[in-house]
Amino acid sequence: MEALDEYLGPPVVLEDESDSSDCSSRKRHKSKLPLAKSMCVEARVESGFHKTCRICLEHVREAMLHHRWQEAAEYMASYTQILEDRNKIKAQPHKELVWRISTEILHHLPNATVKDYNIIYEQMKHSGVKHYLMICLEHSFHLMLHGDIQAAKRQLSIAESWRHGKESVSQLPRIKLIQAYRSLLDYIMWCDKKSTLSINNSFESDNQGMHTFFRLAATNLQDILKNPGVWDPFILCYVEMLEYYGDNEEAQKVLNDYAYDNSFPPNPNAHVYLYQFLKRHDAPDKKLMKVLKHLHLLVPSHELMLAYSCLLLQSEKQSHTQKALGVLLEMLDFQCWRSNLDVWKCLHAVIHQLLQQEEWATSVQGQMALRNDWWPALHFTSFHAKKDLEENSELFKVKASLAEILCPGRPLRYTAETQMLTS
Amino acid sequence: MDYQFPRQLFPSFYSCDPPNRVQRHSAGGWGCYHGVLAQGGTGSLSSWAFTSKQQLGGEVWRQTEPVPVPLLSPRKAFQEFLTPPDPLDFLKHMQNFYMDHGPDAFGCMSEILGENFYFKKAKVKEKYRKGSVNMWRTKCFVDQLKFNMCSMAYRSRSLNRYCSLLWDVVHDVPPELLGSLLHEELAEQRDRMQFSEAATGGALAFVPFSQGEGCLLYPGGPGMDRLNFHRVALERDGDACVDAGGRKPVGFQLKAPVRQISCGSRFGDSCVAVRTDHVCGVWGMREQEEPRLLQVVGTRAAASCVSVSPHILGEVLVASESGAANLWTVGRGMQEVRTEESNLYFNAKSSWRWCEFSAHPRVMLYADRTGVELTDFRVKLESNPSHTLFRISSTSDCQSGERLLLVRFLGDVHPFHHLLTTQHSAYIMDERFPGVPMLKWDHMMEAPPLFCHVAPGSASGTTKVLLGSQSSQEITLLQYSGGRVEACCSHGSPQVLLRPRDSLALLPVQIPHRQQTAAHRLASPAAGLTCLQKTSVSTATMIVLQLTAAGDVFYQILERDDRKPGAPETGPPETGAPETGAPETGARSPLLVAETSSDEDVVMPTQDPNAHTFVPETPDRNQSSDRLPDQVPAFVAVGNEADWSAPSVLSSATRHAWRRWLQKLRRREGKPGAPPHLAVRTAGLLSVAEPGAAGRHMQGALQQDLQRCMRTRSLLLNRDLDPVPVPPVVDTEAWCDPLSDRLTAAWRGGTEAWLEWWQEERGENRAMKKEALRRRRRREKEAQRAAGRHLRLSGSFTSSISYQTDVDDFSGWSSGTSGPLSDSQRSRPLGRLAAFLEGQDDSPPPDRLDPPSRTPEPQTANQRSCNLADQSLSSLWETQEDPPLHPAPSSSSSQLPSFTSLMPSKASQNQRGALQASQPKKKKSRMGF
Repeated sequence: MEALDEYLGPPVVLEDESDSSDCSSRKRHKSKLPLAKSMCVEARVESGFHKTCRICLEHVREAMLHHRWQEAAEYMASYTQILEDRNKIKAQPHKELVWRISTEILHHLPNATVKDYNIIYEQMKHSGVKHYLMICLEHSFHLMLHGDIQAAKRQLSIAESWRHGKESVSQLPRIKLIQAYRSLLDYIMWCDKKSTLSINNSFESDNQGMHTFFRLAATNLQDILKNPGVWDPFILCYVEMLEYYGDNEEAQKVLNDYAYDNSFPPNPNAHVYLYQFLKRHDAPDKKLMKVLKHLHLLVPSHELMLAYSCLLLQSEKQSHTQKALGVLLEMLDFQCWRSNLDVWKCLHAVIHQLLQQEEWATSVQGQMALRNDWWPALHFTSFHAKKDLEENSELFKVKASLAEILCPGRPLRYTAETQMLTS
Repeated sequence: MDYQFPRQLFPSFYSCDPPNRVQRHSAGGWGCYHGVLAQGGTGSLSSWAFTSKQQLGGEVWRQTEPVPVPLLSPRKAFQEFLTPPDPLDFLKHMQNFYMDHGPDAFGCMSEILGENFYFKKAKVKEKYRKGSVNMWRTKCFVDQLKFNMCSMAYRSRSLNRYCSLLWDVVHDVPPELLGSLLHEELAEQRDRMQFSEAATGGALAFVPFSQGEGCLLYPGGPGMDRLNFHRVALERDGDACVDAGGRKPVGFQLKAPVRQISCGSRFGDSCVAVRTDHVCGVWGMREQEEPRLLQVVGTRAAASCVSVSPHILGEVLVASESGAANLWTVGRGMQEVRTEESNLYFNAKSSWRWCEFSAHPRVMLYADRTGVELTDFRVKLESNPSHTLFRISSTSDCQSGERLLLVRFLGDVHPFHHLLTTQHSAYIMDERFPGVPMLKWDHMMEAPPLFCHVAPGSASGTTKVLLGSQSSQEITLLQYSGGRVEACCSHGSPQVLLRPRDSLALLPVQIPHRQQTAAHRLASPAAGLTCLQKTSVSTATMIVLQLTAAGDVFYQILERDDRKPGAPETGPPETGAPETGAPETGARSPLLVAETSSDEDVVMPTQDPNAHTFVPETPDRNQSSDRLPDQVPAFVAVGNEADWSAPSVLSSATRHAWRRWLQKLRRREGKPGAPPHLAVRTAGLLSVAEPGAAGRHMQGALQQDLQRCMRTRSLLLNRDLDPVPVPPVVDTEAWCDPLSDRLTAAWRGGTEAWLEWWQEERGENRAMKKEALRRRRRREKEAQRAAGRHLRLSGSFTSSISYQTDVDDFSGWSSGTSGPLSDSQRSRPLGRLAAFLEGQDDSPPPDRLDPPSRTPEPQTANQRSCNLADQSLSSLWETQEDPPLHPAPSSSSSQLPSFTSLMPSKASQNQRGALQASQPKKKKSRMGF
């Protein structure tokens, strides 16, 4: 019967159609997991050369996984002969492999020099078109991490101008990423110029140079922000430059798109950036509340929710007070806020404001009805009482005063502890 | 601050398209930075700092031993085959089926044919039925077939009749159907061997109590169906301490093997949920109290997941293969919170479901092979507002064919983080930002990781993620940090920890069949993983425990190495110096389990590990190495610079633990498959007659005497027994055959004398003797010449006469030595003879024609030599039936067949003359001349 049920279930459109491994299955057959292929499989027909290389690679891998870098380096010195493989199709993945392994080994060898890195990056970069851009990008990351921003920018500029027919089309996302990182470096240069400008008053020429950097950066940044994705560092620098040149409208538009475009992932930072931007420009509370409302839907535990509840309380609308109650209660559902004094205090204020009027008192009951069966266990056990008393007696007082209101009609151990302690 | 969200995240593209990446190399994520963030720019270029998503330096964790150490002594276990059954080996599997499920296979037919068989003992058969097959005898015969016997000598008529009756028996199950079902079953068995999803989550857990104590939970028993709660004590720094309680593990016998154990603790109260295939149970536990069973529920479909709430004790999520997820409030019952009959995002044809709690106590994760959804279960089932936390897509840079394997809420580490694993990667997801992984690793494991443990790091340290695979026993250590103010970034590259199956190579060598048994046992797939952390002022220690399907628990200790990885190793670290000096006291084995006297005891040495209570496993270098430095090389370092990874030295405590474990394993397993043989009872077959009363009395008295003598160290003189007469003195002269001679010579003079005798026997010193003979003849000739020419004829005649004496002398020479004689030799009779012959050189007797008859002094010697020659000759001829009259010539030819070949070819004419003189044939021709 069970098998039958499973069979009768609504057929789901197979999205993953390229997956051939699932095709063979009977109805009773449980899932057949496509297992990871073994890394170094012995080919059916393999030459002595390939066999040597395969065994060598196994040793390299083994040593690297056990973090025996010196040993891995010794083996790796021999493995590079795989690059002399004449078989073009087979050799391609090996090139990337050699690059990755050698870089990783260099990362962990104590006596690796900049020259070693340059040799690896430069040589492997030009060994094939497929991984040229990737190695360029990684090379520039390496240079950035070592503080050589100029060289990194040079690398990225070279990569940007690289064209290779179909390859450059298939690697479009990577090209965009390279452009974006180049713009990030432009922005850093721009900041550099800006700081020197503010120190030695304004020179027209310097201002010009700064503006060039801005223009260089802006076009690419605009471009990448059109693609759905997470672009936190890029949007921050773009907005900063726009704000510097007084183009607030554009900045707000960019931030709005980033936060509210549905094709983008629900990034909490997008809303945070928008909120911070609006706050910088003294936007009305209503606008701020709108942004925070969206953030509340996404991340009810966000730290800005405290600000949100304050805003709601300030706005003197009764419905807003009720909303604030909901926001605070939801914050307290989360473990990270459970022993936060500010939230409890805020909740205390809200509840007392609500209780002053008879008609709103029921709203507290309504909110708590959903939580009645698990809040006592979450907040008001005798263990919580003991812990709160030890760590923060003020918190204990606030919580104890609210316990009766939040969970009426339930004998709570939390308050029982109080009576025991006070008596 | 746990509630903070990273200010900036690493840039990445976002797309919900199905993944199409195919990895063509095996380097995983090595060598990539994956992205950088710029930070802290105040203006000038130099003030900017970058952080990469993949950071190079992580904490360096190093094993203290080159092998994992067994924690428990080996128990009886049902071990599956390591190699999957071959579906093509059809006959064997059909045979197994017929043997194991006989009634199913032949039930109907046996009822029809039943009256033709007779099952009682054979004697009175005729009375009942004629012509029926006697099954008793057949059964006896079939029982004997399992022994190795001559198939021609043992035959059974009744079996033959049985065969002829049943050769075309009708099967209850048509063979075609049975065959296809069998093939399907075998294929599934093979799949399950590679990857068994029932074990997801792992059946090993550790519940920490107060300082340095905790409870280890693991399944035991042959079928892994006994749940054990075992108190363990983490040792304090330096001194070994035994668990004060000394309690045996508390065990609960279940009806099915334990698949998963999930634990949750709040304020000292612990809740343990255990999943078997169709039953889940919850136990409550405290430090002071024994664990007690709280409630058990059964599920109709097989349960695939159980997960204890980290927020509220007594809440458990149970997911089953029917697709339902239930919230089980212990004591109150189950509440269905979500049902999903199909897979979430695409049809992965999998009924595996998983549930985890999340940061919000009323929001859970609902996962299957295609992705994870966040489900709020306060809302009614129908209008389930759930949103995607993770899906197999190109955003997460999945490979095609990648499937979700395990989800774990990391509440202890970060209140919003979840760990997800697939065959290729491990992801850290933040539930505040669903859809985009915060971090991704290529874990580079061969087999899919089904177990994980996440150990929170200290304030500045990294969080350690341990992934364990099932079939290959791998454990991989990954490190990451961030997630609060900073974005998540990974540290270092994946590190593979030790596997039990690799340890035999590093241990002392075993006898092959024991090695095989142990290797088989150690290779059984892993079934769980957990980790204990211990941080002190100087060191941080991680103890990684791994459970195998055979019920063994192995642990390995990792220590954080705080030195810069680049620094060359100059001896042990300062902090470890006093410890390394005394590893023999068991100081480096910080995990101690209460030693009990029963079967359940553990291997760890709570006694002095050097006290050899067991015989050594093999007569190997083990014993001798007690004097040598205790070192077994673990790996051959290729470089001359030592790597900073696993140590190469086994401590003696570890080796002792392993030795005990292997010995106990051997006892458990018994003798490995010797072919069965028919045993014949031999009791009473060769019985010695019982001694009578008198004899017994005498025996007792004798024993007493013996003891008394042993005490006083005196000789036991038995008065009661008849003295055995001493054998008479051996008269060596009585035996005169060559063997006796040889033996006599050997007894008398040792090797040299014997050699001499042998040379004499083979005639190897004949050339020398001839030389002496020739000299003598020359002297005689000179004497004749001096005597005058008138004697020439007679001289020539005498020379032929003297031939006989020559031969005599010749054999008299035989015992002489070749070189100049020493004084001691001269004193001997033969030596005297030789001296005499030497003396002849100096003063040849001019007028002697027949020296033996004329000179009285040498006559004795000559007589003696004649005697000797006679003796040797007679002894020769004694063996022959018909002694010839003139033995000398024929004896020389028969006795020395290789004489001519012994002669050097370039011998001078003189020598040849001498040779000819000694040969009668030539003598004859000379006579003619």
